[in-house]
Amino acid sequence: MRARLHSLALDPKLLAIGLGGGLLSGLLGVGGGIVMVPLLVLWAAYPQRDAHAISLGAIIPISIAGIATYGVAGEVRYGTAIGLAAGSIVGARIGAGWLARIDERLLKVVFGVFLVGVAVLLGVRG
Amino acid sequence: MTGPALYVVLVAFGVVVGVASGLLGVGGGTLIVPFLTLAVGFSQHSAEATSLLVILPTAVAGSLALRRRGVGDLGLALRFGTVGAAGSVLGALLALALPASTLRLVFAVFVGLVGLRLARDGIRAERTDEVRS
Repeated sequence: MRARLHSLALDPKLLAIGLGGGLLSGLLGVGGGIVMVPLLVLWAAYPQRDAHAISLGAIIPISIAGIATYGVAGEVRYGTAIGLAAGSIVGARIGAGWLARIDERLLKVVFGVFLVGVAVLLGVRG
Repeated sequence: MTGPALYVVLVAFGVVVGVASGLLGVGGGTLIVPFLTLAVGFSQHSAEATSLLVILPTAVAGSLALRRRGVGDLGLALRFGTVGAAGSVLGALLALALPASTLRLVFAVFVGLVGLRLARDGIRAERTDEVRS
């Protein structure tokens, strides 16, 4: 029973990381893994693999809370989300299958530069 | 673009997002939100809200796949995420209180930082490899 109670409690570091990741997720409409995974690894000392799994699982309640909040405000477009999600679930399987066969480093550089371009475009048009 | 044509584009873009996130661990909201604002014409708030609804089923599918392979602790993850949910409500309320142009600028800074980090990771990995060989 005591062990059980203990297992229900969360490390203060996990609490802070969860709150921070959630805040970013709700504010920007992203999963929050981009901050949670590095913090879980570097600050809370989780192995990379476990950090990924914990972050991904945490995104479930985090995104539900965000969807509910934006949903009340009437901002969620359900049909669009279904189309994107259908493609995304298929794509994730394809991507995971390619993982062992591609040069990940070059892809990171190219994609990183692309995202900086997107940021500039967003800034200019905003 | 309306009706079936838009739907085909949405599913196709979803595949791209899925491949990117499967390969790089980045590319959910980071790609979906700019796509919905710049290409589809959504407001910043609607784009972010809709992005979260795309991320949810993807996270569920990914978590179930990891659990089948025995990776991680989904129970701990969900408890951890319940704390995160409080943060998420606060974040969404903050976003809703901000004007769209301000929120978009904050988002642009975020995407820029993610891009720089990714590029840096790629360059560093290459250097490490050179040392090894």
